[in-house]
Amino acid sequence: MNEKKIIELKSVAKSFDGEVILDNIDLDVYEKEFITLLGPSGCGKTTTLRIIAGFVTPDNGDVMFDGVKINNVPPYKRSVNTVFQKYALFPHLNVYENIAFALRLNKVSEEEIYERVEEMLAMVNLKGFEKRDVNLLSGGQQQRVAIARALINKPRVLLLDEPLGALDLKLRKDMQNELKNIQRKTGITFIYVTHDQEEALSMSDTVVVMANGKIQQIGTPTDIYNEPENAFVADFIGESNIIDGVMLDDYRVKFSGHEFNCLDKGFAKNEAIDAVVRPEDVDVVEPEKGMLCGIVDSVTFKGVHYETIVTINNFKWMIQSTDYVAPSQKIGLYIEPDAIHIMKKSEFSDMFGDYSSFSDELEHLSDITEEEEERE
Amino acid sequence: MKRKAASNIYTVLVFIFLYMPIAVLILFSFNSSSSTGRFDGFSLRWYRELFSDAATMNALKNTLILAVLSSIIATVIGTLAAYGINKMKNRHLKGGITAVTNVPMMNPEIVTGISMMLLFVFVGGIINSKTVLGFGTVLIAHVTFNLPYVILSVMPKFKQMDKHLPEAALDLGCTPMQSFLKVELPQILPGIISGFIMAFTLSLDDFIISYFTVGSGFETLPIRIYSMTKKRVTPDMYALSTLIFVVIMILLLLSNISGDKEKKTLTLKQKKRRKIAIISTFSVIAATTLGLFIGTSFTEVVTVNVYNWGEYISDGGEDEDGVASVDVNKEFEKYYSKYLSEQKGRKIKVKVNYTTYASNEDLYAKLKAGAGGYDVIVPSDYMIERLIAEGLIQPIASREEITNVIKNYDYLLREPSDGETMTKEETEIFQKPFYDNGEDVYSVMYTYGVVGIIYNADHVSEEDIGGWDLLWNEKYKGKILQFNNARDAFGTAMYKLGVNVNDPTAEQWQDVLNELIKQKPIVQSYVMDEVFNKMESGEAWIAPYYAGDALSMIYQAEDRNINLGFYYPQNEEGETVTNVFADAMCIPADVSEEQKAHAIAYIDFMLSVDENYGSPAIANAEYIYYASPNRMVYTNSSYLETLDGDEEIIYAPIENNIDELFNTYAYRNLSSKNLATLNSNWETLKVESSSFNGTIYIISAVIAIAIIAFIVFIAVRRKYRRKLYWEQSPIAIKKASKNTPSDDLSDTVTIAIKRSKSNKD
Amino acid sequence: MNNKKSLLQRAAAAPHIVWSVLFIIAPLIFVIYYAFTDSEGSFTMENIKNLAQPSYLEIFLRSLCFAFLATIICLIIAYPIAYFITKASPKTQKILIMLVMLPMWMNFLIRTYSWMALLEDSGIINTVLKLLGLGPIHMINTEGAVILGMVYNFLPYMILPIHSVLSKIDTRLMEAASDLGCNHFQVITKVVFPLSIPGIISGITMVFVPSISTFYISQKLGGGNFDLIGDTIERQFQTAYNYNLGAAMSFILMILIIISMTIMNKYADDDGGVII
Repeated sequence: MNEKKIIELKSVAKSFDGEVILDNIDLDVYEKEFITLLGPSGCGKTTTLRIIAGFVTPDNGDVMFDGVKINNVPPYKRSVNTVFQKYALFPHLNVYENIAFALRLNKVSEEEIYERVEEMLAMVNLKGFEKRDVNLLSGGQQQRVAIARALINKPRVLLLDEPLGALDLKLRKDMQNELKNIQRKTGITFIYVTHDQEEALSMSDTVVVMANGKIQQIGTPTDIYNEPENAFVADFIGESNIIDGVMLDDYRVKFSGHEFNCLDKGFAKNEAIDAVVRPEDVDVVEPEKGMLCGIVDSVTFKGVHYETIVTINNFKWMIQSTDYVAPSQKIGLYIEPDAIHIMKKSEFSDMFGDYSSFSDELEHLSDITEEEEERE
Repeated sequence: MKRKAASNIYTVLVFIFLYMPIAVLILFSFNSSSSTGRFDGFSLRWYRELFSDAATMNALKNTLILAVLSSIIATVIGTLAAYGINKMKNRHLKGGITAVTNVPMMNPEIVTGISMMLLFVFVGGIINSKTVLGFGTVLIAHVTFNLPYVILSVMPKFKQMDKHLPEAALDLGCTPMQSFLKVELPQILPGIISGFIMAFTLSLDDFIISYFTVGSGFETLPIRIYSMTKKRVTPDMYALSTLIFVVIMILLLLSNISGDKEKKTLTLKQKKRRKIAIISTFSVIAATTLGLFIGTSFTEVVTVNVYNWGEYISDGGEDEDGVASVDVNKEFEKYYSKYLSEQKGRKIKVKVNYTTYASNEDLYAKLKAGAGGYDVIVPSDYMIERLIAEGLIQPIASREEITNVIKNYDYLLREPSDGETMTKEETEIFQKPFYDNGEDVYSVMYTYGVVGIIYNADHVSEEDIGGWDLLWNEKYKGKILQFNNARDAFGTAMYKLGVNVNDPTAEQWQDVLNELIKQKPIVQSYVMDEVFNKMESGEAWIAPYYAGDALSMIYQAEDRNINLGFYYPQNEEGETVTNVFADAMCIPADVSEEQKAHAIAYIDFMLSVDENYGSPAIANAEYIYYASPNRMVYTNSSYLETLDGDEEIIYAPIENNIDELFNTYAYRNLSSKNLATLNSNWETLKVESSSFNGTIYIISAVIAIAIIAFIVFIAVRRKYRRKLYWEQSPIAIKKASKNTPSDDLSDTVTIAIKRSKSNKD
Repeated sequence: MNNKKSLLQRAAAAPHIVWSVLFIIAPLIFVIYYAFTDSEGSFTMENIKNLAQPSYLEIFLRSLCFAFLATIICLIIAYPIAYFITKASPKTQKILIMLVMLPMWMNFLIRTYSWMALLEDSGIINTVLKLLGLGPIHMINTEGAVILGMVYNFLPYMILPIHSVLSKIDTRLMEAASDLGCNHFQVITKVVFPLSIPGIISGITMVFVPSISTFYISQKLGGGNFDLIGDTIERQFQTAYNYNLGAAMSFILMILIIISMTIMNKYADDDGGVII
């Protein structure tokens, strides 16, 4: 990967009406990278994007582009283009004119415009849609027009603000692939904002997890998934059982009243830690063979696997397994050392982990706050 | 930052533009003098006068009744219609009805007004009624133009309403009625309310449509203001406008503040409170209307409808020194209700419904259009001849009977002064004037006078005055006023040219017309009662007008240090050649026997000099300055004292040869051929362009060409741009805007405005 | 659901339909009837022919020009103000819009009348100008005064629809434009303006129609020297009693307005979208 920094945020801070939205963010974006800002609503990811685009001026800190400070450069002078949430296509222009918009501003000749628009249309699979009214396109088609419009000027960086949020699941999967392909083909740096962790993991070179106006972790998708830095990241990325534990020694941890071998070291003796065990890493065994024993609370069929909730020491574990166990059955759990990931205690400890209150409600809540955020 | 400052300055400038006239109006409502052009000191005089001005208060009441009734009717019909139209399946029918509904909104108001007037007049012709126009017709007109606004504000609510809501209500056990009341109605209520408020404000403010459809005896505030702006808008109208302005501003502020709070926290309690507030507002409005109707009918009320010239009666207004004049109408109400109550032995209230017009032609137009309901009218000589000929007025009594009917009729008999002899004709000149000397008496003379020329002595030099040609003097270009009615305007030219005013030859007609066309470029404007303000303020210098009014102008102008002079134009032989006119009280033909008795009592009262009731005849003469034919007036010493020598101006030129003047120079009813010529010549004169100013047309043309060029440029450029891809692209789909027709959109916007005008939701 | 309409649903629109036929359609038929008959009631084209006289044609032309200029001036004044209002905070916006509407509640006759007091040779503006030594400027009874009266009276009708459309434009579209390379000015010309065309169209309609048919303003501020269509119609009904000629003029006026509006709507449909 190219290691040249294209955008740097240096302790950027922003607040609206006294509410801190961004709290001294430092972020480097490299050329040709697909970087995703991931986080729940209100974490500041959209604001970060808008600061890069130039719609928002930071209160503090610097925005650098190619090493040049661009804090006060207006959006129309930045070599950065945006694919907006809900696309923001110009309703008074047809598909062709929407895409040609930026070129017309630069007084490009009609022939060249035609060539480049056609090229873009081919890239986003919209050939033959030139005369269409954008208001009559489906969500996916509008999305493609928005991408084509933003890319036609060959920006150095493309900003995508939850571009797939309004699409249905199947379409979203297709578009994810397409976006990734486009990024590869064009070699343009993509800065992608989403609250969908799956999207982030499957598309990005780098994932930036944000919460409460701060960056929680920056890393490759694998790092982020396997080595979450704190309870927030562990919980936000995939499903996790996060259990209070004590580090007895290097490679030795105790939680749920049992001592386990693990691969982590470097903690103080008897330091309180959060232990993370991914649900798919837990093996269900006979009670007597298990390291931990518990009663099955409930079992839900999820297609590929069963999702089993087991209570052990008042902690509800989630287990994803292809084996069916009946509710009320006593089972044992077996955990390999490499399935255990140890994290330092953080402000997010104890906020996540137990599945006793697990429900979809939380997601709805986050949807609501998201809409509010959009209105800003 | 600079841009921000510039936009702020611009905003402020536009608001100054919007509020400048309103500021002027508020300022002058506190003026101590009646000037609307110069501030003479602070006073609340006009606010006092406003509340004592019965006619204005009555107009205000009428306006409110009309607005409430018409908006309630429009809201009921409109809401039902919105409901029905929304449920309609047939798209064509739906579209057709919507299109028709929007006609009054899209049509110019003047077209709506005259179209309804034509309908009413036609219907009046069929049912052979001379009194079609009246409260009913204005009400119909107001409901008609209110309807589209109500429908447009209710309709969207029906459209937005979830279709399944009533179903859900039925499913949960509501009867259809309950479902309507508890589920559907609350959903559309905001639309109904804003529709009602919109209709109410539109109706309150309407002038043009009312103007064409209103009948007699029903004067709304805008119409009263209109007839006032023809003469002198007294600052009490400014005072009223200021009050209205303040009330509306407070209401708007309140609704804004409460609206803010509502959105934040609308607890159940507040909702309830709001509901109560809405219900109580409605009930208060309903109760007031009902009260206004019933309240008047508890005691028996006799109404006398009087239609007179503007400012042609002593109306209780204060003069410059704050001394109130006699309110003759009020005195009549006092006198006559006492008289009637005693006679009938029960309490009877008398009300004078007093409305005004600006010219004989206005009066005639109203009568002709079927605006009946007047009991007493005061036309001029030639018009009386015409009204008699067309059967539009009825005899008051036969000549033998008249002294029994009008007790004070004898006051009109002239008496020779000492050592003078008079023929019978001469003594009876006011009782048997040329226009009404038959077996029956149709009219009782109110005033008479002479047309003269009033001029600004500060600017007009002495050597120029004397004849009619002053009105044609190029030296005073742009400072000359001319009558804004055909008869008087043509009269000036006829007297100038020495043409017989009552039967010119075709050639003479042409000469006269040419003379007036020649005059047009130097005329500042064609005016009637506006002459007062223009002469008193020095805005204009020369105007032909009636002697009595001239005197009134001279007095008013004196207070502003403007010297006005007045003379009777003479021909080269030194003879006074000018119009002598008489205005007399008449009773329209459609007045019932019962009403006629009241009308006669009113006419009689106008002649009386009963000091218990403020000597009406003298009070009027002192107030309006016209010559009175009433012996008890022109021999009254205190009256002559008030005139202080100026009686020369109004009486002198006529006293000696009054019958001759009447016979030679008075206007007579024209033959229909002459009348047609007069009207068509007047039309020719009015449409004759006086000052063809090319600039305005050139500017328009340049802008129009620029716009067209721009559009063409856009079109060509679009075509050019499309050249490359338009043909290749196989899929052509019509623009989305076709799905929502553009007039729909503009309707929405229109309604948004009108709605926001009436209420900020 | 079995959709059997209740009586209420069927009959609800009936009163309105009856009313519309009686008091909207019938009166318009009468206008046409009177326009094509003489005073005896027999068919004639005389009224329309009469209007072809140069003097009447000039009245039509003058009305058209005055209304056109008033509309253009209104648009020029109103557009920036509507735009600035949308840029204000919601609370200020509310107040400003209220201030725009407030004058419309004042009787327009009175407001026009007080313009007379301002514009007269001896009026307030000239008094102030004299004090400043700028000399009196003749304003009243000129074409300018009449157009000013129109602009003044109908300006709010231009501001409000434009504002209501502008305030509904998604701010993201402006951001998108700016993101794609538009400077502030280009954002307005290429995105905001084309998108506000519906508002402009309804603003133009709401100013042009009353301007071309007004009959009070030119009498007061033009001194009766500039007869407009409205004045001429009014005179036929109020002093000249030539209902037929008046009806013919109204008929022509209606047609004139329908034509103007059709042309404009057509252009708005075809071109509005591509003005970039």
